Amino acid sequence: MTALDFEGRQVPVEPGDSVASALFRAGVRVFSRSFKYRRPRGLYCLTGDCPNCQLVVDGEPAVRACVTPARAGQRVERPTGWPSPDRDVGSLLWHLRSLMPVGFYYKTMLRPRALWPMAERVIRRLSGVGPVARDRQPVRRERLTHYADCCVIGGGIAGLAAALAASDRGESILLADEGTIGEKLAPGPARTRALELHDALARRTGVTILERATAVGVYEGPLVPIAADDFLHLVLPKRVVVATGAVERHPLFVGNDLPGVWLGRGAARMAGAHRVAPGREMVFWGATEESLESLEVLRRAGVVLKGVVLPVGLARTLNPAEYPLIADGEIIEARGRSRVRSVIVRTTSGESEIACDLLVVSLGLEARSSLLRQANPAFVTGTGDVVEPHGVPPEPRREAGCFCLCEDVFTKDVADAWGEGFQSTELLKRYTTATMGPCQGAMCHRHLTGFVEARTGPAPASRATTARPPARPIRLEDLAAGARYPLEYRTALHDRHLGLGATMEWTGVWKRPERYGDVLEEYRAVRERASIMDVSTLGKYRIAGPDATEFLERLYPCHVKTIAPGRSRYSLLLNEAGYVFDDGLICALGPQGYYVTVTSGGADQAEGWFRDWAEAWSLEVHIGNVTATYGAINLAGPRAREVLAALTSEPVDNTAIPYNQHREVTIAGVKCRVLRVGFVGELSYELHHPRLESEALWDALLEAGKLCGLVPHGLEALRLLRLEKGHIIVGQDTDFDATPAKLGLDWAARMDKREFVGRSALERLGRLERDRELVPYRFPGPGAPLDGAQVLADGERIGYLTSSRFSPVLGHGIALALVKRTNGTVPSTILAEDGSGQRFEGTRAQGAFYDPEGVRLRA
Amino acid sequence: MALMIPCPTCGLRPYTEFWCAGELPEHGGEASEADPLETDFQRVWLRRNVAGPQVERWFHAAGCRRWLTLTRDTLTNGIHDGA
Repeated sequence: MTALDFEGRQVPVEPGDSVASALFRAGVRVFSRSFKYRRPRGLYCLTGDCPNCQLVVDGEPAVRACVTPARAGQRVERPTGWPSPDRDVGSLLWHLRSLMPVGFYYKTMLRPRALWPMAERVIRRLSGVGPVARDRQPVRRERLTHYADCCVIGGGIAGLAAALAASDRGESILLADEGTIGEKLAPGPARTRALELHDALARRTGVTILERATAVGVYEGPLVPIAADDFLHLVLPKRVVVATGAVERHPLFVGNDLPGVWLGRGAARMAGAHRVAPGREMVFWGATEESLESLEVLRRAGVVLKGVVLPVGLARTLNPAEYPLIADGEIIEARGRSRVRSVIVRTTSGESEIACDLLVVSLGLEARSSLLRQANPAFVTGTGDVVEPHGVPPEPRREAGCFCLCEDVFTKDVADAWGEGFQSTELLKRYTTATMGPCQGAMCHRHLTGFVEARTGPAPASRATTARPPARPIRLEDLAAGARYPLEYRTALHDRHLGLGATMEWTGVWKRPERYGDVLEEYRAVRERASIMDVSTLGKYRIAGPDATEFLERLYPCHVKTIAPGRSRYSLLLNEAGYVFDDGLICALGPQGYYVTVTSGGADQAEGWFRDWAEAWSLEVHIGNVTATYGAINLAGPRAREVLAALTSEPVDNTAIPYNQHREVTIAGVKCRVLRVGFVGELSYELHHPRLESEALWDALLEAGKLCGLVPHGLEALRLLRLEKGHIIVGQDTDFDATPAKLGLDWAARMDKREFVGRSALERLGRLERDRELVPYRFPGPGAPLDGAQVLADGERIGYLTSSRFSPVLGHGIALALVKRTNGTVPSTILAEDGSGQRFEGTRAQGAFYDPEGVRLRA
Repeated sequence: MALMIPCPTCGLRPYTEFWCAGELPEHGGEASEADPLETDFQRVWLRRNVAGPQVERWFHAAGCRRWLTLTRDTLTNGIHDGA
C-alpha cells in the first residue's frame, strides 16, 4: 500500500489521487484556518482556484492540495492552528471581530508607538497562512526558452481546439495546462472529448505540450513565463491564446465558507473521479444545465438528496418522485460551528431549515480572466469560457457571508469600507485587501465589481481592478530561476593563482587574485626585486586595414599618426560628451596596423565603441577583439630585466626595448609581444602571448625569478603601487562626468588636433568654470584614511578620497581626492574623515608621490 | 518584457542578447557653420524621446557583435527592419 505522511499519520493513496482527495478520503475535513479569524475551511472548488486547501507539502508552504498529485512518502501538514488545525483556539477571534473592523491597522494601535512592535509579533503569529520552512533545501531551477508561433494557455476543450486549429494553419504550438489534460473534468463526454483532442494534438509535429505547468502572466513582448517543476519555461510566441476557462461562482450567503459547502464541479470531481462521496446528506442548489450533470454524479455516488433547489425551468426537467425539488428557492444561510449541519432555504412561501452535512452550489460560471485582462489585446485572444461563460443565468445579488476567502474579508467589511468613503473597486480593494490573496480575485473579483455597480451603476467606479502577474501563486525559486549564475570570466592562469593560495576577487566579470599572501611582501617584491602579475584581463584589440591610422586618429584624443612603429602611447578614451570612460595603450605595429589595449572592465564596451564609429565614418578598418586570444603577464621591478634575460637569448636591454616601446621577443620559448609600460612605476615588461601558453610562461618566470626572490603580486598591491605613481584607475578615481582637465590630465587631450571624439564637447566645457578636480594629497603620520573618506576644508564638505593608502616606501598616507574648486583653486590643506572617528590632516601634493621624474621606470 | 530583434546576421533573437544604445544620434553629422559647438551640444545631449516609431542603434553583444539600426515603436515595441 502506498501512503503519504499526514501530520505523522499514514494516509493511503490511490491511483489518480490528489493530496486533497487522499486526505479527504481519510476523513480530513478541516484543511486550513482562515487568514484573519481562524475560521475552519474545507475543500471547496477542487480546481486550484480557492485558497482553502493550501497545505505544507514536503516543507513547501502554500501548496494547493487539490491540484497536487499525491505521492507515496509525501510529508503533508496543515500550516496553522493551535493546538490543532481541527480545534484552533484562534477561532475565538471570530467572536472578537467587532474589535477588528476593516482597516483596523489604520485605526488602532497608533499609540503608544512603542507597543506596536510587540503587537505586530502577536498579530504575525495569529494571522497569515503559516510559517516558511527555514530548513528547506533551496531548489535551483533553470530557465528554458521556447519559441512558438502560438502559445495556448489552458488545456481544456477550448484550448485544445484552438491549438489544433492553429496547427492546421501551420503554426508551431506550445500549449500549457496547470494540471494534466482532462483531470479537472469529471468522467463523462466532456472529458472524453478533451482526451481525444489531446491525442490528436500530441501526434502533430511542431507541438509542445507542457502539463503541470502554470502560466504566471502574460507580459509585453509577448512573453509568457510558465512555472513547472522542471524549469521556468519562458515562452516567446507570436501570439497568445488564453483558454483558462471559468470557475464556478462563489455564492454569498451567511456561512458560505463552512466546511461542507462545495462548488458543484468540485463535489462532482470528488465523487466521480476520486470516488469519494463529499458528504452523506446533501442539499443541492443549482441554476444551470451543467449543475444537473454534477447533481447526477453525486446522486450516483450514493449521496442522499435532502433538497434540490432549482429554477422552475430546470426543476421541470426532473422527476419530482426522485428529487426533493424546491423550485425558485435560494439558500440564505448555512449553519454549523465547524461544518455544515443545516441550511436555511427561502422560497416564496417562507423559510425552512433542512438538516444536511453537504451543501453543493452550482450557480454558473465566472471567467478565469486574470491572464486575459493583464495582456495587450493586440497579440492575445481568449477562447472558450474565459471569454463568454455559456449558459450562465443572472446571479442572485445577495450581500452576506464571506466575500473574499483568501483575505478573510466579509461582506460587512466591504459595506463598512464603503460607508467610510472607499467608493470604488480600486479603493475597496486596497482598503479591505479583498481580491489581493493567493487566488487573486478568482473567487471574489466579480463580487467586488458587482458590489460597486449595485451602488453607482456602471463604470468608472465599478470598473474591474487591474490584473497583474502572477495570476497564480508561484514559488520564490521560480522568480529566481536561472538567476544564480553570475557570468564569471577566468584567465588561463586561474588554476595557477588558486594553487598559490590566492584570495580571488570580482573585478567586473573577471575573477582575479586580490592577494597571494602578505600584500606588503608582494609590494616590496615590485619595489625592491621583481614580481609578476596576471594582466590577461586587459581588453586587447588588433586594429588593421587601410584606414586604421585615420580611424584611430579621429577616435583618440592623442596623436596617433606620430606613433612610430615599435612605439606605444598612453591615451584616454573619451565619449562624445568629452568624458573619460576608459584608458589604455596604442601600439603601432607598422603595416600590420595597431595593437590596442583598454582596461579590464572596459573590453566589451570598447569593442562596441570601436565598431560604432568605424561604421559611422564608413572607414575600411578591421577590428579584432583578441582579449580572449592573448594572455598577458606584467613583469615588474628593478631586477625584472635580469629575469627576462635569463629566459631569452634576444637582447632586452634599454636600447633593445626602451620605455614606451614594444618588440616581439621569444621568452622561454613563447612568442611574446613585450610592452615597456609603467603603471606600477618600476621597470616593467608586459608580456602579451597566446593564452594557451600562459601557464608555461608563468611557470618559467616563477622559476627564473628565483634568482632575485620574485613573487607574484595581486590587485591590492597593484592599487597601492599605482597610487604612489598618481596613476588613475578609470571607474575608481573617475566619476561619470570626468573630463581630462578634471582629472588633471589636460595633456592627454590634444586640442591642437582638428578632430577627435569628444573634442567639441571639451572645447565647449573649456569655456565653463571647472568646479571639481582630482588632486593628490599626502597625509603625514602613521596611517591613511579609508577609500571614500569625506574631505573637509574650513568645516565644509568639499569632496571625497577616491583612493587612499599608506605608502610604505614614503612612510606617510597618500590619496587622490575629487574636490570642489573655490575661486579657481583647491585647498592646500584638508581634513579627511572616514567614519572611524579619526581625522587626517592632508596637504596638497604635486605630480607623482613616488619617483616623480620617472627615473626608475625608464631604467 | 520580451522583445525579438531582427539581426541581419543572426536572425530573430531575443533582446536580452543586445545592448540598446538608444535613439540614433546623428553620427559625424556636418557641424553647422554658425555655431558648431551648439550643434555638437544638441547632438550629444538632446534626444527627441518620441512616443512612437524611433530609429535606434542596437549592438548584438551576445551574437555577431555588430551594430544594427532599426525602427522601434516605443509604444508597442513593434519593430520595422532597417532605418
